[in-house]
Amino acid sequence: MSRYTEQELKDKVQNGFIVEYPEEMTEGYRKALIVQLLVQADTELVSAPAYFGAAQDAPSTNTMVSATAIIQDELAHANIAYRLLEDLGLDKEQLVYGRAPHEFKHPYGFDHALENWAELVVANGLYDRAGITLLGDVYRNTSYGPLKRALVKVDQEETFHLRHGEMWMKRLAAAGGEAREKVQRAVDWMFPMAVEWFGLPDGMKRHSGQLEYRLKGMTNDELRQTWMKSTVPLCESIGIRVPAHFDAEKQEFVLDYPFPCEYDPEAKHWLFDEGEISWDQVFERWKGRGPMNDAYITSIQEGRAVRRMLEAA
Amino acid sequence: MMLAEQAHASPTLDYPVPPEHRNGALWDALREVMDPEIPVSLVDLGLIYDLRLVGETAEVDLTYTATACPCTYFIQYDIAERLMREPGVGDVRITEVWNPGWSKARVSPEGRERLKVLGVSL
Repeated sequence: MSRYTEQELKDKVQNGFIVEYPEEMTEGYRKALIVQLLVQADTELVSAPAYFGAAQDAPSTNTMVSATAIIQDELAHANIAYRLLEDLGLDKEQLVYGRAPHEFKHPYGFDHALENWAELVVANGLYDRAGITLLGDVYRNTSYGPLKRALVKVDQEETFHLRHGEMWMKRLAAAGGEAREKVQRAVDWMFPMAVEWFGLPDGMKRHSGQLEYRLKGMTNDELRQTWMKSTVPLCESIGIRVPAHFDAEKQEFVLDYPFPCEYDPEAKHWLFDEGEISWDQVFERWKGRGPMNDAYITSIQEGRAVRRMLEAA
Repeated sequence: MMLAEQAHASPTLDYPVPPEHRNGALWDALREVMDPEIPVSLVDLGLIYDLRLVGETAEVDLTYTATACPCTYFIQYDIAERLMREPGVGDVRITEVWNPGWSKARVSPEGRERLKVLGVSL
């Protein structure tokens, strides 16, 4: 039984109250926090196999060290978030080893293969930027004390991933030729993927527990704008085209394609020409998961066999 | 700009250059270069073992906290970029050194203070 009603807790956290213990949570708060942490943990976790596939394309042992260090960070960040979920009564091992691939809550974007060095560094530049945008906002605003403290180091490390991505995007784009074409090709499918990742536009969102419980501070559209404010100029500065621009009149970034729209996962191609679709269709696509969902989660769960041996001994 | 030559300097009483001798414009310039992950300077982390101006070439002896440091490229780039902005510097030559090995004892008192504020204990 919580010591506060839902409304009391919402009012308290809006006035700066920091939740430290489960008994201070209401059922609504606990549920919203669990969803937030699961998305965070699953995203960090699944990025590891996605990045690992492309890291094998590293152009030197030195850069292979950087790429695998990023993977190591992502696994550690996932570990921290699952650890926080244990405090809320969930079983970390069940979460990692006991769920079916489609039950993981990472964004649809991580269900697609990263197939070369350009795709890896664009993922660092675009997806890790999305991660920093989201987690930086959580760090600054969350009412959950243990998460705020855990994010100090996570955010520092994500900054390195981002720099890795941006530096390499610049380098490959400046090289020209096939290197540049690969960056463009990667941005073409990954930019809209990240835009979609921020979710429903504010106008369609009826209710946000995460904002009311102060588990985050910015709305989906504010976060999307923050992400574009960094990403669009970065790409423009290196001569890489993006389907968005800054509208001086509106004082915001606007998309140059129907949003949301359909995606062809086999061709890794957005179907801008087919026009806008409904968000229900987007949720349907997300629910169906992408082509690498099964392979990535299965690779993470390989350790199950050893776990069984240990349990049987 | 020449990067990443392996060197085998032997530790002496004056090497790595002790904190009280890390004076002058070049040292001050590198006090502005932060570690890529934590906002503590490379000088305060004790990663710069020596720094000399030979003609127009700034020669830097640099180590890392670990052989698996994922940021070697960024650190070298940031050092070269900052030193090239100093008057009289026309080239930067960075030598990677592993002897003596880095340990947390090399972090300066200022660096320790800064790490404490950031919530990192040594």
